[in-house]
Amino acid sequence: MVKNITIFTTNTCGYCQMVKTYLKAKGMGFDEVNLDSEPQRRSEAHRLSGALTVPVTVVTKTDDSQEIIVGYNLAKLAPAVN
Amino acid sequence: MSNDHTPQHELVIIGAGPAALSAAIYTTREDIETVLYERGVIGGLAAVTDIIDNYPGFSKGVTGLELADSLRDQAERFGAKIELGEVKSITDEGAFKRLVTDSGELLARAVLIATGSDYMRTGIPGEEKYYARGVHFCATCDGAFYRDKKLVVIGGGNSAIQETLFLTRFASHIDILVRSTLKASDVLIKEMQPFIDSAKITLHIGVTPKEIVGDENGVNKVVGINKDSKEEDFNCDGVFVFIGLKPNTAFLKSSKVELDERGFVITNQDLETAMPGVFAAGDVRSGATMQIASASGEGATAALKIREYLEGRGREIKSAPLSVTS
Repeated sequence: MVKNITIFTTNTCGYCQMVKTYLKAKGMGFDEVNLDSEPQRRSEAHRLSGALTVPVTVVTKTDDSQEIIVGYNLAKLAPAVN
Repeated sequence: MSNDHTPQHELVIIGAGPAALSAAIYTTREDIETVLYERGVIGGLAAVTDIIDNYPGFSKGVTGLELADSLRDQAERFGAKIELGEVKSITDEGAFKRLVTDSGELLARAVLIATGSDYMRTGIPGEEKYYARGVHFCATCDGAFYRDKKLVVIGGGNSAIQETLFLTRFASHIDILVRSTLKASDVLIKEMQPFIDSAKITLHIGVTPKEIVGDENGVNKVVGINKDSKEEDFNCDGVFVFIGLKPNTAFLKSSKVELDERGFVITNQDLETAMPGVFAAGDVRSGATMQIASASGEGATAALKIREYLEGRGREIKSAPLSVTS
């Protein structure tokens, strides 16, 4: 079960938009960390994902385990949030 | 067919870029039931482009995301339905085409292939290894991670220069490696000139990238072969690759849809492929100009040809106006 979802995004990132579109279509809420507004959190996104890219979606489950999805990857995102 | 409970649609459009969405605006206004399948970004490559300066109607340019949102809103306003998913194959069953998607099978009376194209890879050592950890294909997604860092851009076409101009917002310096000649438009070259004059961008013509080198922290340098056939190192923190486009047609390889030697879809003058009732438009089509305005125009043309095709097979199309000016 999903406890909460956080997405690291930037203003110009089309793939970030798609993650948000997908979650909205599923009726799922999420927190957004916009790295253009909060550039100091870039290192947090990097540390969590190991990648220098957005979107990074952090799915926290009710047992507090986390699943990190790098990029817009429906094959990984869909099972992580369902 | 009567025992087949597979969902049926009048038109399935594969893709949701400018060609697909333009076609959907026309077909839905004609009351042709239309479903789009998009595996990537709604708006296609246009949506991940920073500024589009040559799309008619936007005197000050438009961001790719804004254009994509606007096209999507317009298509949805007339009833287009967009599904997020991938079409894996198409087979011809006469009056219907059977499509296998990642969420099941469906049938369509007509199909429009508008899957566009994607950036090609160089295939050099290090490119795959450091993907997203120093090697990137989307400046609007990943540029922000390179504030005050050194970058290398590989490529010399419109995309390479356009994306380099976007990256100047972040990077301290950018080396552009161009294998043969600069093929970008004069407008983009002119826009780039002040950055060359101020030494923020250095252009290297006749350099072929050989290897991307890094360590556990990411990328350190690109090794290139210059025009004197000598190795040259380009120290950097990240690499962005824009060397051309490849069509998204892998799912058509074993179908009756004919592809050219580079994998683009071959159509006749009605934009119909070798499989009757299956049309193609936009960047995926053999002979496409790879321009957003052209893709939109082809989408509209394909929509009208699809209407004719459906009418020719007994479907009554409601007479919606084709244009508010007609």
